[in-house]
Amino acid sequence: MNMGRTLSVSRKTLRSLKHDRRTVGFLVLMPLVLIALFGYTFGGDVKGVSVIIVDLDQGSPNGSIASSIINELKGSKTLKIVEELGPGGSDAKTYALDRIKDGGVWAAIVFDENFSRDVMAALSNLRHGLPALPSTVHFHVDATNPNIAQAVYGEIQRSVQIVIVSEYHLVPPIAIDEDRIYGEGAEFIDFFAPGVMGLAAMMVTFMLSIISFVHERTTGTLERLLTTPVTEGEIVAGYALAFGFVGLIQSLVILTTAVILFQIQIAGSALLALLIIFLLGVGNQGLGFLLSSNAKNEFQAVQFMPIILFPSILLAGVFWPLEAVPEFLRPISYFLPLTYAVDGTRSVMIRGWGIDHVWLQVTILVVFAAAMLLLSAYSLKKRR
Amino acid sequence: MNTDRRSSIAGPLVSSSGEGLAVCARRLRKEFDGIVAVSGLDLRIRRSVLYGLIGPNGSGKTTTIKMLVGLLVPSSGRAEVLGKSISGRLKAPSVGYMPQELAVYPDLTVHENLDLFAGLHSVDPKTFEDKEMSLLRMIDLEGRKDSLVSQLSGGMKHRVSLACALIHEPELLFLDEPTVGVDPELRVGFWDYFQRLKSLGRTIVLTTHYMDEAVRCDVVGMMRAGTLIAEGTPSELMASASASSLEDAFLYYARGALD
Repeated sequence: MNMGRTLSVSRKTLRSLKHDRRTVGFLVLMPLVLIALFGYTFGGDVKGVSVIIVDLDQGSPNGSIASSIINELKGSKTLKIVEELGPGGSDAKTYALDRIKDGGVWAAIVFDENFSRDVMAALSNLRHGLPALPSTVHFHVDATNPNIAQAVYGEIQRSVQIVIVSEYHLVPPIAIDEDRIYGEGAEFIDFFAPGVMGLAAMMVTFMLSIISFVHERTTGTLERLLTTPVTEGEIVAGYALAFGFVGLIQSLVILTTAVILFQIQIAGSALLALLIIFLLGVGNQGLGFLLSSNAKNEFQAVQFMPIILFPSILLAGVFWPLEAVPEFLRPISYFLPLTYAVDGTRSVMIRGWGIDHVWLQVTILVVFAAAMLLLSAYSLKKRR
Repeated sequence: MNTDRRSSIAGPLVSSSGEGLAVCARRLRKEFDGIVAVSGLDLRIRRSVLYGLIGPNGSGKTTTIKMLVGLLVPSSGRAEVLGKSISGRLKAPSVGYMPQELAVYPDLTVHENLDLFAGLHSVDPKTFEDKEMSLLRMIDLEGRKDSLVSQLSGGMKHRVSLACALIHEPELLFLDEPTVGVDPELRVGFWDYFQRLKSLGRTIVLTTHYMDEAVRCDVVGMMRAGTLIAEGTPSELMASASASSLEDAFLYYARGALD
């Protein structure tokens, strides 16, 4: 393999991109917008959910437990308490339910008249070793969005827990001691930033490659290249270098954006993460090349994109873990190169693993890239 | 057509090693899915000769050239180009090829196209610089060096394509319809350049539709239905057909081939 000729092919590939301002803009902005969009929508916690509180609690000699819980709820950022109805209005409960039904609020939290008394009675029974019934906080919710329902529910549970512990000095007999081996302080954005990196690199290298080669084939330039001393391997390698480089730049954009906007953590070597993405890009470039011979024009080429992309988006663990993929589809997951790229970069960035831990993922991607390139070169040789 | 007659054609003989044939094909044949494009073609082209292949569309000119530059594998037969067999993929660095379709990169500038082909032929940068200048002058595009090819007119693109075939100063040039879409004034310039290349000892094999151009070739091969029906200098061809033009001569030989 002659390096000069290979680099000539790379240079021409990058040069033709350079002249196409819009494509350059797309290549840089697409990953930036992708990560920002995903980051803001998926990464943010649920905040300011509108709720109504109906407090009918008549209290106990020791005061109102409902008020203490409500005070705790008021301090929460998750909730925005739009109305607080007291025992005065008899149909407060009906009103609150109507407000949920007409979409005015997401949820209503209702404390009954005997709430405090029931709690005190239960506590006293417990002290004397008698059976006790739990008191009830009524939680009416529009669970159209499960995330919101879950968030409000979690908030109520937390507030109740705090009040019981701080005011009645009751400690639950079992505590769960969480020890985060990896991902201390990691949020959802940290989980999927590596996924988006892989996805963007894969999408773009595949798209650039298949379109470029369909163009090369239909205009006769590929044939002309083949009459020069350049070998099939050099053409394929030249392209792979160029598009791998594009994939790298995109990953850098994503990494930088994610660090600046979302303060994601990079526990391991960013360089190793980028290397993994580069391998993925090279492999997908080869895949694009192979498929380009089955497309008669650019329009047909574009038809390959959803076929290649959707399984990867859904099954490669970009947004959902592989464990969420149904068993019978998992063989496909394990067949997708993106699965290993995402798992590899994620392990490097969150777990801080080095090559000694992700060697398997790297090896699989090396094999993928090498196989694609060899097949591409072979198919070029065969075409006469 | 006998070989004696051909050998009488006086091309400037290239010193010592250059003596011999640039192209030598024996019973070359190419079929595409049962359709015969070239059938048993014998072709011998001496070095330092301007050789024109003429014939109607579908007579096998382009297929012949594609086999000779190694883009197509012959169904049968053998050929040597500059002494090398074309059975393996021809990677003779001293062959230049300009295909019929434009086959230059529209999204690159003129300079970048030339730079690419120079790089693929490992032309060193200094030589490239000089060569690029003189080629741009020849194709009259000195002022458009940094223009994108897509912004050039059809004729200009064609000239860029020719320059790409010449950038590495090949010993043997295959030009498939090099003057299509080139205006008459520039065509004259092209032919002067071809003559100059020839005087430097280069061999040029071209196809053309223009009979007035064919007349300017040293040797003309007339192709029809995938085979040579006549070959010789233009004047010889016209004389033995007692025709006043190459066109009439062609018709004469074509009839003969039918009988």
